[in-house]
Amino acid sequence: MATDTKSAAGEPLVAVRDLRVSFRLGGDAIFEAVKGVSFDIPVHSTVALVGESGSGKSVTALSILGLLPPENSIVDARSRIEFGGRNLVGLPMRAMREMRGADISMIFQEPMTSLNPVFTVGFQLAEVLHLHRGLSPRAARKRAIELLDEVGIPEPRRRIDAFPSQMSGGQQQRVMIAMAIACEPKLLIADEPTTALDVTIQKQILDLIAALQRRHRMSVLFITHDLAVVGEIADHVVVMRNGEVREQGPAKQVFEAPRDDYTKALLQCRPELDHRPMRLPVIDDFMGGSGPQHTEERKRGVAPGDAVVLDVKGLGKSFFVREGVFGRREFKAAADVSFKLRRGRTLGLVGESGSGKTTVGLTLMRLHEATAGVALFEGRDILSMSDREFMAYKKRIQIIFQNPYASLNPRFTIGQILTEPMQIHGIGANVRERTDLVFELLGKVGLPDASFYKYPHEFSGGQRQRVAIARCLTLKPEVLICDESVSALDVSVQAQVLNLLQDLQDEFNLAYLFISHDLAVVKYISDEVMVMNEGRVVELADADTIYRHPRETYTQRLLSAIPKGWHAARAAA
Amino acid sequence: MATSEAALPRNADGTRVVPHNVSPGLWTLAWRRLRADRVGMVSLAIVAAFLLMMALSAAGLIARDWSKEVGVNYAPPSFIGADEASGTPAAPAAAPEPAAPSTEWKTQIVDPLADVIAELKGAKPAAAPPPSGGTEGKSVDPLADVMADIRAGKGTTAAAPAEARRATLPFGGDKWGRDVIAKTIKGSETSIFVGIMSAIVAVALGTLFGAISGYYGGWVDDAFNWFYSVFNSIPYLLLILAVAAVLQQKGVVTIILILGLTGWTGVFRLIRAEYLKHKAREYVQAADAIGASNARRMFVHIFPNVSHVVLVQLSILAVGFIKAEVILSFLGFGVPVDVVSWGSMLNEAQNELILGKWWQLVAATVAMATLVTAFSLFTDALRDALDPKLKGLKGH
Amino acid sequence: MTAYILRRLWQMVPTMLGVVILVFFLFNWVGGDPAYVLAGKISNQEQIDNIRRQLGVDQPYWVQLWIFIKQIVTGDFGASWSTNERIGSIILTRLPPSLTVLVPLTILDLLVSVGLALAVAYVRGSLTDRAVMIVCTVGLSISILVYIIVFQYVFAYKLGWFPVQGWGDSFWENLVRYSSLPILIGLTVSIAPSLRLYRTFVLDEINQDYVRTARAKGLSENRIMWIHVLRNASIPIITNVMASLPGLLIGAFLIERFFSIPGIGREVILAVERSDFPVIKAITVYVAVATMVFNLLADLMYKAVDPRVQLR
Repeated sequence: MATDTKSAAGEPLVAVRDLRVSFRLGGDAIFEAVKGVSFDIPVHSTVALVGESGSGKSVTALSILGLLPPENSIVDARSRIEFGGRNLVGLPMRAMREMRGADISMIFQEPMTSLNPVFTVGFQLAEVLHLHRGLSPRAARKRAIELLDEVGIPEPRRRIDAFPSQMSGGQQQRVMIAMAIACEPKLLIADEPTTALDVTIQKQILDLIAALQRRHRMSVLFITHDLAVVGEIADHVVVMRNGEVREQGPAKQVFEAPRDDYTKALLQCRPELDHRPMRLPVIDDFMGGSGPQHTEERKRGVAPGDAVVLDVKGLGKSFFVREGVFGRREFKAAADVSFKLRRGRTLGLVGESGSGKTTVGLTLMRLHEATAGVALFEGRDILSMSDREFMAYKKRIQIIFQNPYASLNPRFTIGQILTEPMQIHGIGANVRERTDLVFELLGKVGLPDASFYKYPHEFSGGQRQRVAIARCLTLKPEVLICDESVSALDVSVQAQVLNLLQDLQDEFNLAYLFISHDLAVVKYISDEVMVMNEGRVVELADADTIYRHPRETYTQRLLSAIPKGWHAARAAA
Repeated sequence: MATSEAALPRNADGTRVVPHNVSPGLWTLAWRRLRADRVGMVSLAIVAAFLLMMALSAAGLIARDWSKEVGVNYAPPSFIGADEASGTPAAPAAAPEPAAPSTEWKTQIVDPLADVIAELKGAKPAAAPPPSGGTEGKSVDPLADVMADIRAGKGTTAAAPAEARRATLPFGGDKWGRDVIAKTIKGSETSIFVGIMSAIVAVALGTLFGAISGYYGGWVDDAFNWFYSVFNSIPYLLLILAVAAVLQQKGVVTIILILGLTGWTGVFRLIRAEYLKHKAREYVQAADAIGASNARRMFVHIFPNVSHVVLVQLSILAVGFIKAEVILSFLGFGVPVDVVSWGSMLNEAQNELILGKWWQLVAATVAMATLVTAFSLFTDALRDALDPKLKGLKGH
Repeated sequence: MTAYILRRLWQMVPTMLGVVILVFFLFNWVGGDPAYVLAGKISNQEQIDNIRRQLGVDQPYWVQLWIFIKQIVTGDFGASWSTNERIGSIILTRLPPSLTVLVPLTILDLLVSVGLALAVAYVRGSLTDRAVMIVCTVGLSISILVYIIVFQYVFAYKLGWFPVQGWGDSFWENLVRYSSLPILIGLTVSIAPSLRLYRTFVLDEINQDYVRTARAKGLSENRIMWIHVLRNASIPIITNVMASLPGLLIGAFLIERFFSIPGIGREVILAVERSDFPVIKAITVYVAVATMVFNLLADLMYKAVDPRVQLR
């Protein structure tokens, strides 16, 4: 494997050699999560461990600090993780504890749950300072305030006594980072530290980690699924898949001249901002395939002549919270939202968490009751009609949800899931016709016929999302609301589902309302883009126009926070 | 449900042929997990054995003659051997007919032990304290005289033919020489039947109320929540006792209704929470989006996904109600006096224990503890099998 | 905060009304005419007539309900049907003995079962853990009646370590001499379910992300258990204990009955046996009020120990 990192930087800080980790699954079943992984972490550098779900990247990171659950995990005794002349595998508990938080520290994906909710951030910071540095309470508090200041918490003197729940997600992650760097560690392990955060916050946290890495001359092991993020910060890249290292090397080499097919696929599956092929390359194109097929660009944008299917005017949705003795407080999740959906076109709806974008989708589907506005479907307001009348429109407007694991009833077979809508709406004359249609749709979304008799738990996330799409198609809708429909999927699967959605739009002339927080995906799939913030529409324009010339400052801020990936990042530097 | 439609394989009449391998559903998988759980299966076998025993007893196939005085009074268990003092076949019998002893329990009040102890106090004055401090109106145990008679060995009547009485019984006899094993079997009939039936009533009510309340929300939820908080403000035991106080006639149905009508609140809270959770799940929203009716979403979509909670609750409540029935019958608020239950056996046993006749106490206790332990272990196994991610977390 | 308490108190009104209607329905409608109920229990016809007049049995139900509500508002439930003692004095004299047993019992149960719960959760999955849980399950399967009968027989009657039963006038004598065995039995019965419950609370916390963070900081397992986990697990434990307190008052009735402790629980049993409706009615209403108040206290306590909760 790649030993060039070693020669370049002398003795590495950490050397992982032939790491093997398996999990007991109950009974005698064993799952091999990491199968002989070797890599180095040089001093003063950032190493990115990249992979999709199930690649074993987090397990690798956790095993460095011995944090795997002892009940069911087995680290092979021959594995070696060398740090400062010691092998961390099989290190006595006491020695390991002295190292944790002092020499090697770690931050996690969910800052909200990773901080203890019942202690102040000051307490949690002081705890680690007292433990490893033996600081007195007074000195620890003074140092904790300095640390909070360093990681960019405003008013640290006051905020030190705040509980984690009184802080935003970004601030919580800053506190986690402050805790991690408190004892000047030589290595900081960051396990998907920005995945749960909004894109603007992600940018700040990434900048913070990079700055701290330089200032404290430490190494960072950065675990992520997002290659665009890697391109901005990493010196070395390790690509993992199914518990094995596929490729590793300096970032420049991995990004500019990837040798491994899987790495090539990962780099190209993800939609890019400056580039919009007819179809996204998918993993099969690289793995034994002949490379990307469709290189010509797709034209986007709406023409004045496009037929309007759904005309939404002044849509509003408020929730009420009890307050005071008898009072209630209004919370406007969405207010005065207006847009038009055109036949065969996609309107992308972007915004950060709490922007109200999902509320808009659910309200249009009448899963929430609108508090204001109209939505005209061929001149008829679907928001104010009776449930009985709306029944006919349910065939024409459908929704695909975010979480493919929650959106299929686990007690139904795929056949039952797909025949149910037709049964309810009386589509198909008899069982035979309906079953035929289901098989046709299974083929259309790329699932084998045998799926008919299977249950959702036997499918992967991407396959389930295909089932969800097929379920909508049974009703032959004209409008499809995609609520974060590809956000939970791995990059390589995301590309396949996006291609499927595009094919279906081309075939059936569907109008999409594509709701997502992922600006690159929205750019790729949308003709028009609408930006929302705090329940209000900030800007609405053609996709290319809005990305190239954003008018509003919020849009500009949002777009500048998008991770640009290797090429753009180097171009700017 | 769409089940019937989905089960159609294709014929080879020109259309495609699909490999018709219906995958195991979640229930099948749960059953497989349960079958692999040795403790769970043994417990299930024990519970099944008790249920079989109950059924056979109810059908009159076993323990039909439980009320016959087959042994001498307080016949000891065979493995101990006949009692010197009273074990001779010539020993006089105390009560003339089987129904007679039971009727006396009806009027028995407060503390049946008190009199026995008071009597023993003469011999051991140091052991017993003076009864004092506001215990007004201590009732007299009507049984005390009978028992004194028995102990003195001067029976009131000598009706049953003495030759027919055995000196020992397999696990001993009670005061009137009835076989303790037969009584225990007969007693299981009442205790298990009451426990399971009242659990069914309580779970059915709790599930229905909880489903409606959690699913519809709004004022319906407010109404059911009000109802719940009313029942929940009165401690469960107090409510049972209050209902027992006002209901004059006793019977198996009465006690099932008492337990069932007061015991639904816990199930309601759980099922309501489950429905609230599932209502917001995407698969239910998707069902709404494709036009499934409220009833369909409630029962076809959500119910199968919360039914494991219902099943586990049923199991937990059955255990609780078996224990509750024993206490109520012990106090005389439960089943009628001519019906034997484990509770009434314990009631008799507490007096017998003072005399050193421990076998009825042990028989009823062991029978009940075995059943309830097996039932509880089975419940845990069931929960693990239905919800594997909780395995090892929720007790054993 | 004040607004929250006021709103909660205001919300108690309909619940209280429901309790009143339920109790009224049970005793005046299902229970029927006291003349019938008391037939054979009170021979004095004049007294029965007096009771009927007080309840307004001859008048429409709404008048009877109004009489009942007036009784609740004034706190004057009249006198016991069988002993003629004032209800207020019955409750006031029966409360101290109950509390003498229950307060130490609750505190001991909490200390012992929380300690044990942390210990077995720490060795979760081990043989010890499994053995303790099996013992708990078996222990729970034996009726409380058996514990009382056997413990009273063995420890009091056979061995003579404790008095068989009784109650005195001095607090210390009652606590040390007469309450020891009842408390011991109460503990034996209550530790198994508490331990099982608290163990799940602790296990819920052990699997949280913040425990992983604490480990990554290099904290010892002891500190993680006793500071981080216990502090979080104490939230459901405290609210659970608070909310169950009023129920305990009745729950100890078997112990009170066997040991002749003149407490509330025993009073309820006596009243049920004598069909002494006013006593049961009054105790039910008072305990319901106590339950609601303690539920509110539990929620306020929840706020005090959990900084995430916002009471509006």
